Amino acid sequence: MSAQRLVSNGTTHQSASNSDYTWEYEYYEIGPVSFEGLKAHKYSIVIGFWIGLAVFVIFMFFVLTLLTKTGAPHQDNTESSEKRFRMNSFVSDFGRPMEPDKVFSRQGNEESRSLFHCYINEMDHLDKAKGSLQTTALDSEVQLQEAIRRSGQPEEELSRLMKFDIPNFVHTDQNSSFGEDDLLISEPPIVLENKPVAQTSHKDLD
Amino acid sequence: MKHIINLYESINSTARNNSDCPPVVLPEEIFFTISIVGVLENLMVLLTVIKNKNLQSPMYFFICSLAISDMLGSLYKILENILIMFRNMGYLEPQGSFETTADDVVDSLFILSLLGSICSLSVIAADRYITIFHALRYHRIVTPRRALVVLMVIWTCCMGSGITIVTFSHHVPTVIAFTALFPLMLAFILCLYLHMFLLARSHARRTSMLPRANMRGAVTLTVLLGVFIFCWAPFVLHVLLMTFCPADPYCACYMSLFQVNGVLIMCNAVIDPFIYAFRNPELRDAFKKMTFCNRF
Repeated sequence: MSAQRLVSNGTTHQSASNSDYTWEYEYYEIGPVSFEGLKAHKYSIVIGFWIGLAVFVIFMFFVLTLLTKTGAPHQDNTESSEKRFRMNSFVSDFGRPMEPDKVFSRQGNEESRSLFHCYINEMDHLDKAKGSLQTTALDSEVQLQEAIRRSGQPEEELSRLMKFDIPNFVHTDQNSSFGEDDLLISEPPIVLENKPVAQTSHKDLD
Repeated sequence: MKHIINLYESINSTARNNSDCPPVVLPEEIFFTISIVGVLENLMVLLTVIKNKNLQSPMYFFICSLAISDMLGSLYKILENILIMFRNMGYLEPQGSFETTADDVVDSLFILSLLGSICSLSVIAADRYITIFHALRYHRIVTPRRALVVLMVIWTCCMGSGITIVTFSHHVPTVIAFTALFPLMLAFILCLYLHMFLLARSHARRTSMLPRANMRGAVTLTVLLGVFIFCWAPFVLHVLLMTFCPADPYCACYMSLFQVNGVLIMCNAVIDPFIYAFRNPELRDAFKKMTFCNRF
C-alpha cells in the first residue's frame, strides 16, 4: 500500500513496466535485507505478536468473567427467573448504552421496566441531593402506571412498584428538540409514547 | 533514525532473497469486496439515522461519526486500488506531480479515517459512560448541540492531524505521536467500559442475578475491545517497525504481511456497524422499517 511511503527515503521501486498489466502496490524498497544468520524463526515477531494479542484478549475476558463470579447473589427464591431476565438488558447490552428505547412504549416489556427500576434505584442512592431537576411526581406516576398496565404485570409487582419513590425524575420538556415519543431513561426529557393514551390511563387509575 | 541513516551507507550485503519473506499478496477482489461491503453498510447506518427524526440524538450522532470514518476508510481503499489500476494501465505516470498529490490526498484520507475511527470509538464510550453514571443529568451534559460541536472539533483536529502526519511522515516524532495515540485511546476506552461493567456487576449482585447475564456483559465487552485491538494493533505495529527497524529481517518478515493488516482494518469497518449501530434495537427497527417500506 502507498501507506508505506510513511518512511520514504526517496527511492521507489517500479516493479513492473507500464505496459505490464500487473496488480502491484507502490512499495518503496528500503534496501536489501539480509536473511543470513537468523537465530530465531524468521516469522517470530509475527507469531509472538499474534499470540501476545490473543493472550491479552483472553486474559481480559477471564478477568471479566471472574469479576462476574465473585458476587454473592441474594437469596431470593420467589422471583428467580424474573429477576434474571430483568438484569439481562442492563448488563448484557453495552451495545445499547443503557437506553431502553421506548421504555414505556407499546412493547413496554418487563426488561425495560426493570431497567428503569434498577436505574432509579441506583440514581436514587447517588443523586438524592441533586434535586435541581424539575420533577412532577404525578407525571412520573402516570408513566409508571402506564408501563405497568402495558406490560401486564401481576398485581403484587404492580403494588410494589406503585410505592416506588421517584424523586428526581425529569419532567417532560416541552421545548425539547426531540419533541419525540420515545421514553428514554438516559435522555431526559422523557416524553410519553402517546400522550392521549397516558391521559386516559391516568383517568382510569384515578 | 539510525537505521534509516545506515541505509544510505553502502551495505555490502547480499541481494534481497525474495524467497525468504516474500510479501503476502492478496487478490484485489478481496479488497474490493470488503471495501464495497463496508461502504454500503455504513451508508445504510447513515441513511437510517438521517431519515428517522427519532434517531437524531447525541448517541446516534456519535454512531454516525463512526460510520462516516469507517466509510472513509473503505473509500480510501477503493480509491487507492483505482489509482493503482490506472497506473498499471499506463494512464498515470508513477512519479508525476498529479500522481504524488493524489497519493498524498488518498493517504491523508486514510489517516483521517483512522483517527476519526479511534476518536469516534472513544467518544461513544464516553457518551455511554455519562449515560450510566450521570443518567439524570445526561440531558444537560450531552445536548445535541454540544455533541455536534464536539464532533466538529474532533473531525477538524483529525483532518489537521491527517494532513500534518502525511506531510511530515518521514519524521520519527510524527510516527511516535501517531502510534502512541492507539494505546492511549485503548486504555481510555478500557477504563470507561471496565467501570461501567463493574457498576453493572454490583447491580447484578444486588438483584440476585445469575452469573449468566453478567457473562453476556463480559462477552460483549470483550467483543467490543477485542475487535478494536485485533483490527488496529497489527497496522500500528507495522508503522512502528517500519520506522525503527526497516532493515531487520524479523521486522521485514512482519512487514511482508502488510496487506493482511490492511484487510483487518477494512474488516473493522465492516464489523463496526454490527457491534455498535445494529446492536441498538431502535436503529435496527428503523432500518427494517426503512428497507421494508422501500420495497413497496
